[in-house]
Amino acid sequence: MSDEAVIKLSDLAIGYDRRALASGLGFELKRGAFTGLLGSNGSGKTTLIKTLLGIIPPVAGSFVARSPGGGKLRIGHVPQRESLDPVYLFSAFEVAQMGLYGEFGPLRRLNADAKERVAKALDHVGAAELAPRRFSELSGGQMQRVLIARALVCDPELLVLDEPTAGIDADAAKAVGELLAGLHKKAGISILMVNHELHWMRQLATDLVWLRDGKAVQGGVDELLSPERIEQMLQLQMS
Amino acid sequence: MELLREILDPEFLLRNSVHVSLLIGFVVPLFGIFLVMRRMVFLGVALPHISASGIALALSMHVWFGDYDAMHGANERVLALVGAIAFAGAALVILAVLERRSQGGTEGRIGAAYVIATATSILLLAKCPQAERGWLSLLKGEIIAVMDEDLWLGGCSFAVLTTLLLLFRKELLLVSYDRALAVVLGKRVAAWDVLLFALIGLSISISVFIVGPLITFGFMLMPPMTARLFARSMRQLAILASLTGGAGALAGFCAAYHWDLPIGPTHIVVLAGVYLLAVCGRTAFGMFRGPVASAS
Repeated sequence: MSDEAVIKLSDLAIGYDRRALASGLGFELKRGAFTGLLGSNGSGKTTLIKTLLGIIPPVAGSFVARSPGGGKLRIGHVPQRESLDPVYLFSAFEVAQMGLYGEFGPLRRLNADAKERVAKALDHVGAAELAPRRFSELSGGQMQRVLIARALVCDPELLVLDEPTAGIDADAAKAVGELLAGLHKKAGISILMVNHELHWMRQLATDLVWLRDGKAVQGGVDELLSPERIEQMLQLQMS
Repeated sequence: MELLREILDPEFLLRNSVHVSLLIGFVVPLFGIFLVMRRMVFLGVALPHISASGIALALSMHVWFGDYDAMHGANERVLALVGAIAFAGAALVILAVLERRSQGGTEGRIGAAYVIATATSILLLAKCPQAERGWLSLLKGEIIAVMDEDLWLGGCSFAVLTTLLLLFRKELLLVSYDRALAVVLGKRVAAWDVLLFALIGLSISISVFIVGPLITFGFMLMPPMTARLFARSMRQLAILASLTGGAGALAGFCAAYHWDLPIGPTHIVVLAGVYLLAVCGRTAFGMFRGPVASAS
């Protein structure tokens, strides 16, 4: 694994119940890069993210996730917001502070400093005024901001986002896109983002990984999103 | 008021029934919140009955050794408690293993477990009329004769279980709400699940042993459902559910004593009445307040 990589996959196969959705995956996520993960429905994008986060085990092969300092890589995860059940009565602040539960183990309550960090993270993403409101009553774009704040509160080296602009209106999606661009450029955080919309990939990503036919193709944005290459990829997917 | 004073008098003949009703009313809803939040209400129905079938097995044990005329004594009560805990624990383990091995069909499995447990209990007790009467009384929620030992058992057990629930609520809520985040943060999700279901299983077993499955199920689910209508936070939900359960238990006991009704079913009808009133109140409040401004 080169010093320039935060995650390196080696002949990785991903899937459920020992059935591989994609196999032979071998690429690196470069440090400081904004990597877009593309692919059709069912191609294994979310499964790949879940595998890299340790939520499900690989079917075969392995991957290494390493902090630039040599320790465990700090990852901030922004899930699809539909995965969070609205029956829970958490405020936006309470959802955001969950990002610190890794630092505050059992029997430890969050102290004033920790709460200050949560408030700053919410402020950073422009969601400070949402803190006391019930999370499940926020709009899609507002929820997304709070979830990004939750991921940022633990000072991540890699931010992993699963379709952050899906199902939200154009203005809110634009705001989320600008927020992510700012985090990447100003804070220098490595980002891995799943997104169906090619225009977001064009605007935000510096590298792309395209999952198709159970394999991964890695390349630059201009290279993989050229009209000829898109046509070629889509034909391959349809055939 | 006179009725309330009589019931709460330390010399009241049925004081143990009052105290155990209040104990179950205040405490059991705290565990039920997790069943409601995790959308496992069916499990809240089935588990008390499965636990009760453990009691049925213990009470009928002598019949299977050919002793049809055995007297039911203190030793058998210990065996019944062990049976209640063992059956609830075994059911949770089996359902969890099946859940991991196959996808879907959870409701079907829980429903099957419920009906099998109830039928098996009836069959187990068919040859011992004395035990059958006792078990049916437990099933109906007849808690007139609660022994001092049972009250102490309930008080001490629930003190420990509730303390654990409150101490680890941060982790238990995290793994219930967002398992993926819990994994990313390095939490041992499976271990926290085991703790949560052990707490729920033990609270159900002990409650079923003392007051039966009907009261256990009622207090496990109805107060949280009522509180959910008004609470604005998880803390409020816990406090409101506990207060609703406690107040419902006291009101239920007063009603049962005043009109000479069976205590368990009266508790449940009172809780149902409170829930219906809460739904109506909430609807009326919503109509007066008008449409809520949508989030932008």
